[in-house]
Amino acid sequence: MKLLLALLLAAPAYAAPDLSAEALLRDHLWREVRQAPENRRPKVGLVLSAGSLRGVAHAGVIQVLEDAGFPIDSVVGTSMGAVMGALYASGMPLQRLREYAASIRVGSGNDLSSARLISLLLFDRLLSSEKTELLLRKGIGGIRFDQTLKPFACVAMDVYTGEAIIFRDGDVAKAVRASMNLPGIFRPLEYRHRFLVDGGVVDYIPVDASRLLGAEWTIASVTETDYTAARPQNVLESLMQVIDIRGSYLSHEQRKQADFIIEPPVGDIGMFEDHRVVEAIEKGIIAASTRLEAAKESLILASIPKLTDGWGAKAVK
Amino acid sequence: MKSALLLSLLFLASPARAWRLWGEPSDKKIRPVQTLSDAHKPAEVIAALTPDFLQTLRGTDLRQAYVLMGDSLDLLGRVDEALGVYQLGVKLFPKNVDLLTRQGDLLHSAGLDEQARVFYLKAIVYEPKHFGAHLGLAEIDRRFGFLDRSASHYETALETLDGRADVWRSYVETLLAQRSWATAGLAIERAIALDPNNPEGHILTAFARRAQGDLTGALAALDAALAHGADIGARRAKALWLVEAGRPGEALVEAALVLKESPGDAAALWARTRVELARGQTADAVLELSPLTAPTRIDFSARAARSLRNTLSSPPKK
Repeated sequence: MKLLLALLLAAPAYAAPDLSAEALLRDHLWREVRQAPENRRPKVGLVLSAGSLRGVAHAGVIQVLEDAGFPIDSVVGTSMGAVMGALYASGMPLQRLREYAASIRVGSGNDLSSARLISLLLFDRLLSSEKTELLLRKGIGGIRFDQTLKPFACVAMDVYTGEAIIFRDGDVAKAVRASMNLPGIFRPLEYRHRFLVDGGVVDYIPVDASRLLGAEWTIASVTETDYTAARPQNVLESLMQVIDIRGSYLSHEQRKQADFIIEPPVGDIGMFEDHRVVEAIEKGIIAASTRLEAAKESLILASIPKLTDGWGAKAVK
Repeated sequence: MKSALLLSLLFLASPARAWRLWGEPSDKKIRPVQTLSDAHKPAEVIAALTPDFLQTLRGTDLRQAYVLMGDSLDLLGRVDEALGVYQLGVKLFPKNVDLLTRQGDLLHSAGLDEQARVFYLKAIVYEPKHFGAHLGLAEIDRRFGFLDRSASHYETALETLDGRADVWRSYVETLLAQRSWATAGLAIERAIALDPNNPEGHILTAFARRAQGDLTGALAALDAALAHGADIGARRAKALWLVEAGRPGEALVEAALVLKESPGDAAALWARTRVELARGQTADAVLELSPLTAPTRIDFSARAARSLRNTLSSPPKK
């Protein structure tokens, strides 16, 4: 009996709602931001970085932002960020998005087999990424960019010119396939008279594409690799290491352009470690939850100049 | 004869579990120390649990000694030492859910939630319905954003702690975050029925109603909370929510009451600023913000106030 009493007392204490001035003011202003008409707050752009398998963490980030009622006006993504972004922007329910992300495997988006891998290594025969497109079509069908629930764009690179190609119209699945068409592994995708490969090479965190869609305040989910921990053992890994280092240099600048960054700690998840996708999604949820209040504060502060118009304010000298 | 042999084999094969059949071996030497602990004398408990005394203990007594030592050190604010005692206890009794949960609680209260989670999860392996472990996991999962898992852990804990209003209230917070209004309403009713004089149940009602767009109901619930002795926080919320409800006169009254008790209160000053802006008194509104805009302040209220002041002071856009 005494032990039971001791356990009852030892159980974690109840934490009442935070009624401090700081918390209540934030809550009050957050309500104003959420309820404001679109012209009274900045247009919010969600930016999903490249990151191969690590990019499934975006599904966790999206879920937390949605649960918190974060106003998201447009979505852009590169590579795996484009896959997650396309599914979300097309209106896939969050639970389904999470399940879809958790089911992604190394071979999901390609025709990788032992024979093809040998062919790739010995005879330089690149793989096809057609399965990426088929897989996407299972999730979103033949949806076009102008049919998504939220404005969406994704980025690929023209391998002949080095240009970043931002897709904003046409078939979503085809464009997303181009966006995650890993160079050196997949054949460049010939689409709209261009030869397209993974956009992560030139636009790892596509904040610029988000601005093109009209975003005035951007929140980026970044799933970069920790390349300092990697020790490439073969041609493929070495190639990936170089791409990751190049992407990291690029993202240094792009990080500065984003207004807020959520960075799930998935840098140690390798591109073939598909047994860790659930872990990556959970890390996305935890990272976003941990940064949620700060993200709200950032958006509130960016919104105040526009919100003020609705408060009956007139400028003073 | 055969069954006696089987019983002996069972005892030899799994000594850690065998005590569950006959009761754990104990000579109850710990009882006097337990009495000291029950009398809230942590310093005396620690003094009584000398190394020599601990060496004479076994089974239940030794396990309970670690619990009492850890609890007493924790009560005295010697958290690091308490953690060390629990760690040692867990090493000696790795399947003991009391020690596992206590170590989890200590880590959780120190903000080391990922580590705490490991201990809670171990505890529910050995005792799937352990309410302490489920409560800890519920809180951690809510903080980490796993709202569905958090609700599920609360529900398991409430199977045992059905009579604890504070656990019901905590459960409500997860339900509100999930926007499960109907279930939250039922849980709040239960919390208020169990602890009718506690204002926190009414405060949760207020947040639930406001989240559903019922500001009038929310303000009525805040009034009920204040009638039950809620502190300045409820009044602070009322001042801001009256602004949201478009009732500026009442908002000013509430803000004045808050400022009387807490001069410079950011929420009350903001409420007054908003009322003055709505009345077209922009210069007064800017003045109202001045206590918050000191450049040395970096908190959110100050940054928001500076942003508003700067907006109001900049020339209108053409």
